[in-house]
Amino acid sequence: MNEMPHTSLPPAAMNAPAKMRTRDLSFFYGAREALKSISLDFLENQITAIIGPSGCGKSTLLRALNRIYDLYPGQRAEGEILLNGENILSPGVNVAYVRRRVGMVFQKPTPFPLSIRDNITFALGHFERLSKADMADRVEEALRQAALWDEVKDILGRSALSLSGGQQQRLSIARTLAIRPQVILLDEPTSALDPLSTNKIEELLDQLVRQFTVIIVTHNLQQAARASQRTIFMYDGEVIEAGVTEEMFMAPRERRTADYISGRFG
Amino acid sequence: MNLLVLRRKLFDAVMIALSLGATAFTLFWLAWILWTTVTQGASALKLSIFTQMTPPPGSDGGLLNAFFGSFMMVVLGVVIATPIGVLAAIYLAEYKRGTRVAGVIGFVNDILLSAPSIVIGLFIYELLVLPFGHFSGYAGGVALAMIMLPIVVRSSAVALELVPPETREAALALGLPRWKVTLSVIARAARPGIITGLLLGVARISGETAPLLFTALNNQYWTANPGAPMANIPVVIFQYAMSPYDNWHALAWAGAFIVMLFVLTLGIITRVVFRQGARS
Amino acid sequence: MTDSLPSSEAKQARASEAADRAFRWLTAAMALAVLVILGATGFSMFWGGRLAFQTFGLHFIVSTDWDAVSHQFGALIPIYGTLVTAAISLIIGVPASFGIAFTLTETAPRWLRQPLSVAVELLASIPSIIYGMWGLFVFAPFMAADIEPWLNDHLANAPVLSTLFTGPPIGIGMLTAGIILGIMIIPFISSVMWTVFNAVPPQLKESAIALGATRSEVMMKVTLPYTRNAVVGAIFLGLGRALGETMAVTFVLGNAHEFAKSLLMPGNSIAAVIANEFTEADSPIYTSSLIALGFLLFVVTFIVLAIARLFLYRLGRIEGARP
Repeated sequence: MNEMPHTSLPPAAMNAPAKMRTRDLSFFYGAREALKSISLDFLENQITAIIGPSGCGKSTLLRALNRIYDLYPGQRAEGEILLNGENILSPGVNVAYVRRRVGMVFQKPTPFPLSIRDNITFALGHFERLSKADMADRVEEALRQAALWDEVKDILGRSALSLSGGQQQRLSIARTLAIRPQVILLDEPTSALDPLSTNKIEELLDQLVRQFTVIIVTHNLQQAARASQRTIFMYDGEVIEAGVTEEMFMAPRERRTADYISGRFG
Repeated sequence: MNLLVLRRKLFDAVMIALSLGATAFTLFWLAWILWTTVTQGASALKLSIFTQMTPPPGSDGGLLNAFFGSFMMVVLGVVIATPIGVLAAIYLAEYKRGTRVAGVIGFVNDILLSAPSIVIGLFIYELLVLPFGHFSGYAGGVALAMIMLPIVVRSSAVALELVPPETREAALALGLPRWKVTLSVIARAARPGIITGLLLGVARISGETAPLLFTALNNQYWTANPGAPMANIPVVIFQYAMSPYDNWHALAWAGAFIVMLFVLTLGIITRVVFRQGARS
Repeated sequence: MTDSLPSSEAKQARASEAADRAFRWLTAAMALAVLVILGATGFSMFWGGRLAFQTFGLHFIVSTDWDAVSHQFGALIPIYGTLVTAAISLIIGVPASFGIAFTLTETAPRWLRQPLSVAVELLASIPSIIYGMWGLFVFAPFMAADIEPWLNDHLANAPVLSTLFTGPPIGIGMLTAGIILGIMIIPFISSVMWTVFNAVPPQLKESAIALGATRSEVMMKVTLPYTRNAVVGAIFLGLGRALGETMAVTFVLGNAHEFAKSLLMPGNSIAAVIANEFTEADSPIYTSSLIALGFLLFVVTFIVLAIARLFLYRLGRIEGARP
């Protein structure tokens, strides 16, 4: 299934404009520099996979892109992160505003202790004043996009905690989709899931990329090869290589990339 | 060598025996106190206790006004202590976790947790009785709130800290404001722990006597006005038990029995809620 | 997909930021209230007691006077009674708590541990007024009828003990109050003890057992040294409770203002004097003296409880450092 998903994409997408960019982005946990002057482009309506060994900074990069790190006083980013050309690290920027555009799905499913429906309406209701019918439509739309609708349409009032791990993860995705972000960050979204759920989510990514820009961190190289159009290989806080996925996996330019892909380390 | 082994074995046996003795000793007092309260209380229990007012010496009566007063003041205490305590816990657990500020406030809170309740009574006397010139149910309720507050702060902060960080991050990643995330997601996830704290607090204040002695005082008559001195079960028990009258003694036992039943029932409910919280 | 950000949304984002700031300040204010309550309690005691402190000065603490008619007040008798009853309570409560904690962590069968610990915790949830009533109506008569005559008979000729444990067998007095306090503080001390005993890494215990140590030796040579700080903290916690306990002792102390060497004699404690006399105080200096007593109690319990917490926190840090 999905051996060559990107062949189905229109060729124009391969040269899409950059939705997000980083310019000389450095990141610090206290005094420790976890990202070293990274400059990257994330192209619109493409899936970019970030790969690399544990601790290479791939999750850190993702957490910088929607400023979720703001939660922790010891962490800070330097340089620029541009979303639609606007630097989201500049002081006047409202982080909530950024995060609404740059949604994030985590490694562990994160259902809120609410009903399935309220998991979706909770954020939606905060941002948009919708009639009851509109709200129901949006819930259905988000759940359909996340390929969860058929499984939960009759139990929307039930607690989200009662769903299986794979369902919870798709609910987390649906919740993010419901508020219509522009970029979706996924931090190893399938590493806690069984193969069947993993398949479902990979299929889902294929659909999502038509509407959104997707950036996914994964330790699963097959997943990166299967699901992404572009891949970034990171090592020790630096970008070693970035390019079209197929090319990188067939003919890596860098020695370390080749070593990592062939499983010699990491 | 053999003698040494024998001595060690003997020491072990003596210590195990003494410890078992200490456990039995403690359970013995528990049983004795429970037995006394149940037998004395049950024999004094009559329907009139729930329907009549506290009587003058020598005549019959009930505890209705005292139950009502206690209920009012406990409710007042809960209504005051809950929002203050939960919000303070949010500050400590959500905004200042691991910082010096949280350390100092948590430390002070832990001291308040076991501070003598009579001192709280004196404080509220100075604050709310002296300036107004009279004892009042309000003062009693506020005094109970002071007793309950540190319990709510402690258990809520612990419950909030147990919420997995991913839940917080996921909610914030939707672009929601922090206050909304905290109240609707984090506090919600911590709800069993917070409710446990509230139940513990209610159990604690519903038997508290010392802080009411010079705040609510007592009132022989029915009053629904918390601006006036108000009857309450603990102070009635105190006064009646210390009196020389047998019928007052009987009422005191009945009151003690009901308070104990209430507190122990709350304890059981707390355990059930807590277990549910641990499961989810 | 819209790239330009509608201004209504920008407005909403700014409003959210303001609400966030307001909420943060609100929670900070509530947390500050905890500090203010402690500070205000101390200050209001000091303020209310200033007349007594001004009038009697340091003499207040060392004087045994307590005369409402001639307006002479001193705190020594209640201080003495508070310390003596607290000491008796520790002598009873600490070994009993240790025994319970040892039984619960080492010797009791597993199925019995949960019910046992719940039973001991029940002691903590019984309101102190019930201890007081039980003390007055059941325990004091028992002391008067069975224990105190025995003490009088058997300790009359023993040195020191005859001074402490002989006297009128009336049941009301410092010994009775101290014993009740001792029972009351058991759950507070023992629950901390068994929590920390249970938290000792099993490898430590197992290696001692592998060397042939008995359960008592594991307790005395591994568990107790490892948890020393918390055990001291627990004892101070119990002491803090005993010093400030009001209702349980007020019933059985006898509210006496004379100095008595015998523990069988009625006495007083700071908390009991306040509970007994506050609403009857009929002069400003009387009321002020009682509040001054409250201030002393506040300061002493604050120090004791602070020491308790420092010992308990130190353990928390050590445990945190050792995975």
